[in-house]
Amino acid sequence: MQGRNGLPVCVKNMSDNGKEKEQVTLTIDGKEISVDKGTTVLDAATLMGIHIPTFCWHPKLDSIGACRMCLVDVEKFPKPAVACATEAMPGMIVRTDTDEIVKARRGVLEFMLLNHPLDCPTCDKGGECDLQDNVFHYGIDKSRQAFTRRRVIDDQTTDAFDDKRIGPEIIRNMNRCVTCYKCIRFNKEIAGEYDLGAYERGNHTVIDAAPGEQIDNFYSGNVVEICPVGALTNTDWRYKIRNWKAKQTLSLCSHDADGQNIMLWHDQRQLWRATSRRNDDIDDGWICNIARYGYQYINSPDRLKTPLIKKEGKQVPASWDEAISLISKRFKEIKDSKGSVCLAGLIGGNQSVETAYLFNKFFRNKLHTNNLDYRLEYIDLKGSDETEAYNCLYRAPFTIADLEQADVVFVFGSNFIKDHPAINLRLRKAYRKFGTKVYTANPVETKSADISLDEMIYSPDTETAFIAGLIHAIIDNKYYKNIDETKAAEVKTMLAPATLDEAARLCGIEQERIVNLAKVLSEANNPYILAGDYFVASAKRHRTANGMYDLANLLGIKDSNAIILASQANSMGADRVGVRPRLTENLKKTLIDKWGEELPESPGSNTSQILNNSLDEEIDGLFILGANPAMRYPDGPFVNSALDKLDFLVVADLFETATSAKADVVLPLAGWAEQSGAYVNVEGRYQKFEKAQDADKGIKSGIEIIHSIARAMDLSLNLDNAALMHETKDIVDAFEREARDEAKFFEVKQAQIPEHDNYPYRLLVGNDIHHFGYVTEHCPSLMRFTPEPYLEISPNLAEKLGIDEETLVRIESTTGKLVLKARFSEYFEGDVLFIPNNFSATEVTGLVSREGGGWVKIEKLDDK
Amino acid sequence: MEQVFLKYIDDPNQHKIDTYIEHGGYQAIQKVFKEYQPTEVIDTVKASGVRGRGGAGFPAGLKWSFVPQNTGKPIYLACNGDESEPGTCKDRVIMENNPHLIIEGIMICCYAINAHHAFIYIRGEFAHPAARVEAAINEAYAKGYLGKNIFGTGFDLDIIVHTGGGAYICGEETSLLSSIEGSRGNARIRPPFPAVEGLYKCPTVINNVETLSSLPSIFNNGVEWYRSHGTEKSPGTKIFSLSGNVNKPGNYEVDLGTPLSYVINDLGGGIQNGHKLKAIIPGGSSTPLLMPDQIDTPLDYEAVAEAGSMLGSGAIIVIDERSCMVWVLMKLINFYAHESCGRCTPCREGTAWLKQLINRIENGDGQPGDIELILDVCDNIMGRTICPLGDAAVMPVRSFIQHFRDEFEYHIEHKKCKVETDYPFV
Repeated sequence: MQGRNGLPVCVKNMSDNGKEKEQVTLTIDGKEISVDKGTTVLDAATLMGIHIPTFCWHPKLDSIGACRMCLVDVEKFPKPAVACATEAMPGMIVRTDTDEIVKARRGVLEFMLLNHPLDCPTCDKGGECDLQDNVFHYGIDKSRQAFTRRRVIDDQTTDAFDDKRIGPEIIRNMNRCVTCYKCIRFNKEIAGEYDLGAYERGNHTVIDAAPGEQIDNFYSGNVVEICPVGALTNTDWRYKIRNWKAKQTLSLCSHDADGQNIMLWHDQRQLWRATSRRNDDIDDGWICNIARYGYQYINSPDRLKTPLIKKEGKQVPASWDEAISLISKRFKEIKDSKGSVCLAGLIGGNQSVETAYLFNKFFRNKLHTNNLDYRLEYIDLKGSDETEAYNCLYRAPFTIADLEQADVVFVFGSNFIKDHPAINLRLRKAYRKFGTKVYTANPVETKSADISLDEMIYSPDTETAFIAGLIHAIIDNKYYKNIDETKAAEVKTMLAPATLDEAARLCGIEQERIVNLAKVLSEANNPYILAGDYFVASAKRHRTANGMYDLANLLGIKDSNAIILASQANSMGADRVGVRPRLTENLKKTLIDKWGEELPESPGSNTSQILNNSLDEEIDGLFILGANPAMRYPDGPFVNSALDKLDFLVVADLFETATSAKADVVLPLAGWAEQSGAYVNVEGRYQKFEKAQDADKGIKSGIEIIHSIARAMDLSLNLDNAALMHETKDIVDAFEREARDEAKFFEVKQAQIPEHDNYPYRLLVGNDIHHFGYVTEHCPSLMRFTPEPYLEISPNLAEKLGIDEETLVRIESTTGKLVLKARFSEYFEGDVLFIPNNFSATEVTGLVSREGGGWVKIEKLDDK
Repeated sequence: MEQVFLKYIDDPNQHKIDTYIEHGGYQAIQKVFKEYQPTEVIDTVKASGVRGRGGAGFPAGLKWSFVPQNTGKPIYLACNGDESEPGTCKDRVIMENNPHLIIEGIMICCYAINAHHAFIYIRGEFAHPAARVEAAINEAYAKGYLGKNIFGTGFDLDIIVHTGGGAYICGEETSLLSSIEGSRGNARIRPPFPAVEGLYKCPTVINNVETLSSLPSIFNNGVEWYRSHGTEKSPGTKIFSLSGNVNKPGNYEVDLGTPLSYVINDLGGGIQNGHKLKAIIPGGSSTPLLMPDQIDTPLDYEAVAEAGSMLGSGAIIVIDERSCMVWVLMKLINFYAHESCGRCTPCREGTAWLKQLINRIENGDGQPGDIELILDVCDNIMGRTICPLGDAAVMPVRSFIQHFRDEFEYHIEHKKCKVETDYPFV
């Protein structure tokens, strides 16, 4: 059912999902309607196509009945009632159009306009303003205001229109505010942020940043979007284009794996903004700042617009024909002289699933090599694929919206807000509305753990010990289900450390807390275990994954409820269409059916093997499509020397990168908004996005590039775009996963934790909260939130080392060194450091080893 | 006349627990613990007919019976001591003078509704009364009357004093709850009513200081005794805060149903200097005026309502012939515009607009049509707001214009007061 603004009407009470709801019949404007019990009069009216105007109502916020615009007449009520918060009752007789109601609404509008500056011509909200629309509808043609209109100005409002910047992106104009409190309510209720507040009283009420703060939280862009008037606008969009002149295109966030739905606003020149496109299965209509501002890299003036070819050690511009024929010639030479196994391909996790599939088909079916991978962000395993337990959990049939039915959620190794913005909000909703209990275990204190009942911090690299401890606790206390004592005793022998006591001591968490978590999980009816990026980035993740598998089995946790969450927009898509060296039997069969040919037999190499083999001169030709391992893959020096060693490197990307600098041929690549396609999100959900605009003439999409190379090599892929889309969808749909085997248990052995005597501090490397991957540096809005790299350090540790905020610090590991400004963490407490890996100027991966992550020493740089 | 609240007003030690006990204090609660089941307490309070003394006059026992006992959530009591209605100072005298009476009342109520945490929300400006209540609570804890296992009954009760930050709106029950929770004092929409979802989303009873202070006397003397005071529908005694142009302003406790003239003339000593009575605000500044010919109106909920006003909080403000009614109304509307919380549109913008309009009439800038505009703005506020503050602001405006329209018209036309007077404040 579509409601106002084309949004689906929210009438279901999720807490009783699955149960038939009691029906209530009422009469609105003379017509009867039956709705679920608990539905508001407003929603019931909307279902009937009766429009009731609102300002402060929002389908996903608690109604506060503040604006009084939705007043309706209810028979037997002593006075008009707010439709947004009046529950439909049997036999209720509602009128929305009486003279009294119309007068009341006109009265409200008059009040709102009383001190409104009526500056529509210079207001950015014009054309999409609720106040304009409602005044237009109710026709307030004369003002009875005889006094000077109130202007809200303070010492920080400098602008001629009384604008005031209250955040890196957000500008407030209090004169236009209708005080609906939606912004504050979003912040508090949904995001759990308190940086925005209402100050003063009565008609002096102002919406402002908390004293000394600015509105820079990760979901802050939403407050601009839900502002019904032009009181909150953002620098990204304001005064650039009138909204009715921009076209809208359905799209998706191209960064993280949650698959937040967005709408791109653009014209023939460029993209202008991204807004939410509510999808209740995923994002509830709230998008994070990366989804909102993370489109801007497409507009960047730094985009590559012509191919480059390395001539005499220097990359010089070349024509596409020249570039493609060189690639084709060199790939052919390598293939013919050394064999297909010497060719390899790496593709980024945010290329569309069609590109990923075509990449796979080109390499496997045409070049006959299994050397390909999409996992370019984290330390890879020694074998060519993840372990059975890991793959099983990674591909678990998880559904974001189902989290609302969870009674206990254990978040393991994730700064949730950063890794999974949409899942984070869903978890907060479950916590706030349905009383879901949240527990966390992480190597550091995290922002999103504020709703955690017990925030456990384990010592670095002891993830496996922690989970082993949890299993001990379950077995020792007989919390397990579905197995007998003999089996439990057997599972216990598969654990290292061998006792709960040892495990607890190793990971530095009190036994009682581990036992308590085990108890809570075992008593829950619908528990979840969600593992995120700290887990995935840990070197021994396969060991920990074994533990998570066992844990889920011991507690009888549903197959869909224990998952290792993917991290990039199309990580799951690339996985499903087979961009990895080893394939499941099922996928092999599907591909053979599709292609009518056997697959190459060579074992195939994953990312780390490809790089290693390059060093050993076993791989000569590498094609990297939309990825930047030189900046992102651990152990920078190793990656660089591997890339240097290659005979022939082709890099297709939007920008010149550390990786493209090593290339023999660089191809300008189209961004996601410049093509149609689909992503498969963390849940395995296939979602399409549309092409918003044409890329520059000199730029080609990944699909076009693969086709051109194939054609030049006389290896026609013979797939037009429609057929490709179709075929890709078939492959994605054919995905089958064997369910977790409940009788199966793996060994869970904590690896030896290496000594780091001279390098005492654990360094975590990952995305800054306002950055993702290596392209967000080209998003000016995101750069306003975090403009430069930094070393995040706990105030405790900083004090111990005499480091002040903003001072330069030298960070040194066995593999490299770096100098960065120190920034005190709001959350960290222990001896753990963090550096974002989103800035090309910082070769942070140089500090991280492939074996054991980052261990560093730091010292304050003398003030000279 | 028998008194409940002010019986020992002249004893300077009445606020101390020993004196309070000497005067028969903490007997009622022990009796309740011994002889009554919680539901019997509620039944008794229902039978006594005691009505909420905060202004609305809602039967207290009935309010308690709405509290669901099976939610698994804790139940709270909030005692409303945020007395801010202009003219009202009845709770203050109880808090200052007889704080143990409140504590005993709270204990009875908490026992009845099965609450183990009670909050007393005291107006921020009431520093001295708050200190007295705080001290009394400490005395009660020291005696073992509060805390764990009170009187060996196994009943636990903690009372927390919460002082306000100077906002009239926090006397409104839902804003009071927001304020206790640490939020901005904003009214919330009902339903859900606080009895079902109040403080921290738990069932909550909110009762006025005077209401709760009535309880011990009911259990000490019996329902019949209580009902022997006051009228059939408005039983008991009540404190009236008499102020304005009277000779002896002050707090007077009388039976409900006592004629207004008795309070003004017999207790208050009549109008100052023998001036002529002009109008009476009978129940706090928000209630409509009573005119001199209505001076014999009995002071009970029904009779005052029938006379066209409200008993409200029982703050009687007497206005004599020397006052310009435009000036008086300006003072009132300035108060309400200042105290509007800013939550809902009609009250936020409307009260501020009324303030501007009435001030300009008073200042001699009134325009023809202003009175009609004011009344129309009143229409757009009345009954359109979340909480009663909007109505409270509008009722005196309408009433003043209804009864003294000539003074407003004179002001607009002649740009000065109709009343020629040497009264110093006008």
